[in-house]
Amino acid sequence: MRVSAETKAETRRTILTVARRLFAEHGFDATTTRHIAVAAGIANGTLFNYFPTKEAIILCLASEASAEAIAESRGRADAATTLEEAMFVIVAATLRKLKPLRTYLTALLETVLSPIAVAPQDEVAALRTEHLEAISALIAKHLSASAISPVALQLYWALYVGSLAFWAGDESPKQEDTFALIDDSLNMYVAWLRQTSRAERPQSHL
Amino acid sequence: MPTVAQLIAALPDHEDIAASPSAALTKRLDAASFRRVPIGRLHRMGLLGTLQAKVAAAYLFYWVRGWFRNADEKERLRAEAHWRTAARVLDSMNYLRGAAMKVGQMLANFPDIVPTQFVETLEQLHFAAPPMHWSLMREMVSNELGDDPEHAFATFETRAFAAASLGQVHRATLKGGVPVVVKVQYPGIARTIGEDVRNLLLFMLPARLNADWENTREQFEDLRDRLEHETDYEREATTLQKARSLFREGDGIVVPRVYPERTTRRVLTMERLDGAHIDQFLATNPPQELRDEFARKIIRASYRLLYAGRVLYVDCHPGNFTFMEDGRLGILDFGCMVELDDKLWDLFRKMDRPMTTGRREDRIAVMKEWSWIGDDPTEDERRRLTDEFADWQWSPRYCGHVFDFGDEADFRRGTNLFMEMARKRFSRARPSTPMMARQHFGMRAMLYRLKAKVDVATIADEEVRNAGWDRRAYTQT
Repeated sequence: MRVSAETKAETRRTILTVARRLFAEHGFDATTTRHIAVAAGIANGTLFNYFPTKEAIILCLASEASAEAIAESRGRADAATTLEEAMFVIVAATLRKLKPLRTYLTALLETVLSPIAVAPQDEVAALRTEHLEAISALIAKHLSASAISPVALQLYWALYVGSLAFWAGDESPKQEDTFALIDDSLNMYVAWLRQTSRAERPQSHL
Repeated sequence: MPTVAQLIAALPDHEDIAASPSAALTKRLDAASFRRVPIGRLHRMGLLGTLQAKVAAAYLFYWVRGWFRNADEKERLRAEAHWRTAARVLDSMNYLRGAAMKVGQMLANFPDIVPTQFVETLEQLHFAAPPMHWSLMREMVSNELGDDPEHAFATFETRAFAAASLGQVHRATLKGGVPVVVKVQYPGIARTIGEDVRNLLLFMLPARLNADWENTREQFEDLRDRLEHETDYEREATTLQKARSLFREGDGIVVPRVYPERTTRRVLTMERLDGAHIDQFLATNPPQELRDEFARKIIRASYRLLYAGRVLYVDCHPGNFTFMEDGRLGILDFGCMVELDDKLWDLFRKMDRPMTTGRREDRIAVMKEWSWIGDDPTEDERRRLTDEFADWQWSPRYCGHVFDFGDEADFRRGTNLFMEMARKRFSRARPSTPMMARQHFGMRAMLYRLKAKVDVATIADEEVRNAGWDRRAYTQT
């Protein structure tokens, strides 16, 4: 039997919705792929056609949340007066969306999201690209830089993922330490960017 | 108080930390380090922040150096080396922004002792543009109140109008239309305080020179407790509510109402009291009678809190008082209060006698108990200075006439005495002594600037009578 693209998308959606609920109710570790398949009304084997692992499900949920956050916070990021604040807006909005997944993020951070991960999966690539595109656009706008070096972006990604890792394990009240860390990291990063762009400018005039 | 030149001379130097004798200790501290959360707000404050931090570090260094004056040269140098390191640690402390501001506020209270432009700079620090950008603020409020500021309040100004110690203050309006101010704390700062002070004490361990060490440690721990208390806005809210209940309409003294449903440990929402800051008030050239009226209210407020509330209002700096147009005095900040335990309360009870009679023997008797001074002839100098200082502190109360707080010579006498005591290392006293000195100087400085003439005894008698103490042995009535 051929499964239409529409049915496929629908099944995928059901799996994600069910998984999100089960993770919230029983936790990531206690929820098995079998539980998810049963609750979604599909065979275990079918589930694997969509998501090979539980981590893949989390990754997909995270990717969606991240995309929503970027779409919803774009206006406020554009309105921010400084680059530091604009970047903070995007990161803070992402944290809000990722909040239900916070404690499960560790599973992703150690593997696919790690800055040294090789051969990223599609979902990671999408999550990463979309986030970095938003950030690059802000940098370009505020520093009027024509292109951001891949090194600078890689450095940002390391800081960002590091902040997420910190957040996943943050035991401070209401994870307030994470906000301080992000704020501080962004200030440090932007200061470095400014310094670098100043140092490069004279050369570009030659 | 130190002069600017002395402050600069006392600035921690910039020698490589590895060259200092405490390098090993630094390493050990690093190794045993708690999870450090980098909160380098000082950097974002740019020059201003650095200046504040340096002044604070230098001031503390200068202050503490006095304690080791009588030690032998080698020990003193060793102690100083440690203090330099400690000052550097202090300089890197996350919450120093708050502590520095406190020092700034303290210095700003002495207009004739530090040069004018210095005071002006420091004055501005009370209301300096704060470093938390709006998006971070929004996250903090949302994180604490469970709702974004634009939903939790009818209006919320995105620009802070004042910097609070360890946080910043925004104007807002409640949904019902009540104008309020919302104080929001920097994330993560509160918990680092205890850890930082613990580190500072570790640095000080080799400086344990004499019997005063225990006392020094106690005073530092007291400072830490106070700073920790200041970061708990729920605690401050309780204090505000308690203080508010002590005043009646006829007093003309008002403490802002707290809105508990919009208050957490990190966010404090209270009624907005619009009025003039002391500088703005004085700029209008107010007549003597009006200045005296506000001065009486300041004195009454502090006595009411003491005798009816059993607390000392320590934060007596100009930024915490507002001179309202209808003549009322608004008291704004209750983060730094000293609650008197039974022992201190009993001492205050005993202090009422010398404060009332003005007799030297009464003063000596109480001061000996307060500062543990013995009858030994070696303590003569200490006894003399302590007595003179107490006389300066209390004479407005027992002088028998209207006291002129604007008398510059008298004001200088007090600050000189205090500096001499600090220089001679006569700082051994109960842990709350520095706080009390701060309270008294803060108040005297405000009254001095108001050039107020007040009959203090009348106010004191009214307020003390309410404490219900048996004063028959030393009063006429």
